[in-house]
Amino acid sequence: MGASPARLVIALSVAAALAIFVVYTALAGAGVAQLTPSTVSAAKGSVILVGQVVGPIHVSGDTRRFAVKDIRSANTDRVYVDYRGSVPDLFKRGAEISVGGRMRHGSFAATPGSLVTKCPDHYAPAKSSSQNA
Amino acid sequence: MAALGRAALLLAFGLFAYALIAGSYAAWRKRRRLALSAQNALIAAFPATLVASAILLVALGRHDFTFAYVAEHTSRNLPLGYTLSAFWGGQEGSLLLWLVILTGYAALAVWLNRRQRELIAWTVPVFGLIAVFFSFMLCFVSSPFHQQVAPADGKGMVPSLQNPYMLAHPPMLYLGYVGLSVPFAFAMGALLSGRTDERWIVATRRWTLAAWTFLGVGQLLGAHWAYTEIGWGGYYAWDPVENAALMPWLAATAFLHSVMIQEKRGMLKVWNMVLVALAFNLSVFGTFLTRSGVINSVHSFSQSPIGAWILGFLIFTVAFSVVLIRWRLPLLRTKTRLESLVSREATFVYNNLLLVALALTILWGVLWPVLSQAVGQTRSLSKPYYDFFLHTFGLPLILLMGIGPLVAWRKASVRSLGKTFLIPFGVAVVTGGVLLGLGFDSSWAGLLAYTFSAFVVASIVLEFVRGRAAAGGIRRLVSRNRRRYGGYIVHAAVVLLAIGIAGSSAYQTIRENTQLRPGQSMEIAGYTATYRTIADVKGADYTGFRSVLTVTGHGEGFTVDPGTNYYGPVVGSSTEASIYHDPRTLGDFFATASCVTTASGACRADGAIDLTLLVKPLINLIWVGGFVFVFGALVAMWPDAVEQRRLAARYAAGAAPAGI
Repeated sequence: MGASPARLVIALSVAAALAIFVVYTALAGAGVAQLTPSTVSAAKGSVILVGQVVGPIHVSGDTRRFAVKDIRSANTDRVYVDYRGSVPDLFKRGAEISVGGRMRHGSFAATPGSLVTKCPDHYAPAKSSSQNA
Repeated sequence: MAALGRAALLLAFGLFAYALIAGSYAAWRKRRRLALSAQNALIAAFPATLVASAILLVALGRHDFTFAYVAEHTSRNLPLGYTLSAFWGGQEGSLLLWLVILTGYAALAVWLNRRQRELIAWTVPVFGLIAVFFSFMLCFVSSPFHQQVAPADGKGMVPSLQNPYMLAHPPMLYLGYVGLSVPFAFAMGALLSGRTDERWIVATRRWTLAAWTFLGVGQLLGAHWAYTEIGWGGYYAWDPVENAALMPWLAATAFLHSVMIQEKRGMLKVWNMVLVALAFNLSVFGTFLTRSGVINSVHSFSQSPIGAWILGFLIFTVAFSVVLIRWRLPLLRTKTRLESLVSREATFVYNNLLLVALALTILWGVLWPVLSQAVGQTRSLSKPYYDFFLHTFGLPLILLMGIGPLVAWRKASVRSLGKTFLIPFGVAVVTGGVLLGLGFDSSWAGLLAYTFSAFVVASIVLEFVRGRAAAGGIRRLVSRNRRRYGGYIVHAAVVLLAIGIAGSSAYQTIRENTQLRPGQSMEIAGYTATYRTIADVKGADYTGFRSVLTVTGHGEGFTVDPGTNYYGPVVGSSTEASIYHDPRTLGDFFATASCVTTASGACRADGAIDLTLLVKPLINLIWVGGFVFVFGALVAMWPDAVEQRRLAARYAAGAAPAGI
């Protein structure tokens, strides 16, 4: 089993690819924390908030203020989100959303343009949504 | 009707179970007649799944709301095309589509290869195993034939799914995902039977190619749909569900390349097994991702208990592949070694390394929220992470597309290489220099992508020019080695994709949410857009507005009319982007608008709008690349009589197949 130089170079290349990955993830790859309305209140720095829109959506100018709660959870914690800018088509009461931003004075100051809604494969009118959970 | 559907699925389940159990026993004890009957059971299951599918389609077409599935996903006023597309609009139907495609593929692949008895004897039970799982789900866990008292009308379909793309995009992806089970079944069959030569590769080459093409086309359709319909100006967002389709495609791309080394030089046998298992398991993983809702995605369809079932199946198939490969390792050892780093083989190895590295880093990104949750807090990785690895591993891949075809097998001399690469290298240097002079260094990744693309194009053109001189005509050249030249055409398509992606992302210009009143104008990337007027629009089930803008610049004058449709409080509104394809720059002028509202939510009387404009250079090359991609793949797939004769002769010379 004489090791050929070709094999050595390929092994080194694999090691190099791994090294790039490890270094990158160590320096920049931890990602952004993903929190739910019940856990976001103590968050520091920018995070992603994942939740379900509840209650009325207040619109003033191009700013919207609405509350979100944990998805499919009996937890009653609510967080108010302030969002400026246009929203996706599917954004409405009951929509499951993910939005970036940071906590400021007890409510969530969202980054413009960061709001995404989930595509449902069910079209359930609001009234009967409890029937097809 | 529903009872017949259930019966057909139960029958199919029984046939698959028979193909699995009797087939395994027959292959193990070498019972030829029993193996044949298992094979026939597998083939006979196809009509059974077809019957089940036909019943669901008929129920959809007749608005038979006694089928819970039909009532759940369609309504009476839904046009017929979308009504039928509800077949794959929901979970149960999607599973049935999986199964019917799987059995169709399995029946045809097994029948076409029926003469390779030893290989097929073990391939049949592997197909049976996969199909048993999906038919079990359909019979006992998630049946599309669940009945109920018919409501007056169904619940209807989400408007975003009522779109021509949804007629083609999901089936294409399924044809791709499921298609990867063919090479997987044959590979596992080869391991089980001990026939680890390259027959399984030859038998499944076109299947892999077809699955890979479908997967690619499916993703491009999805990208085009997102671009034209969603109205955010992008086409790929590194969303887990999008990544779920990209990963198996990357693994299959690596596989398509590395099998050539095994065919030509008998090397990389273990690696090919690993790749085919990786591609298949990633496609099951993709099914799991889309169906389980474990990972937060824009597309997380329904969260349902079948996620746990698919996860169980995935764990099983991963373990199954690992154990089999480990068990047959001694048979997969090869005597041939990589002789030189300057050889075709070496470039293929590097190509594989980069493709797999890219696929695995994407996998890491997709899994990171789950992994980080396990050790503490849920965190997610986004665009910067994916972009970094796309650049790090993707750009060298482009370069390799230009190098690989020009390097000789086994061992190339450095001197001959210098001569071969003189022209492509010169073209690349000149292109890079010119682009640098034009100020393209605003994005180093874009600059490198263009420079490397020039290199690849030059080397492909060179190959065709040289080959044509030797063969006397392009057609004769291509027909002499369809696989090779089809491959080059696909490479050209990938270059078009790379140029389009780099142009539309690295060099795009965005002006977001500028408030304009009629008569005002704004400038972007050499265009001047003047907002003329706002008009109300009214359709069958919506009201809305269109803002009319005239745009001049780059020697062009055109009109765009972005706006919004409002479908009522339940459905909500839909952004109607307006896109102008500029034939001179091959780029797009992309506009979306929302009207500035009063406190009551109505549009303001002065017609003020928030306008978002994007100029995306060269983006149309992505879609052009899609057509070239399909064309190249077809050339490579086309039946080749010369190749068949060559293979037949090769096997006739080999060991006579021992009967089982």
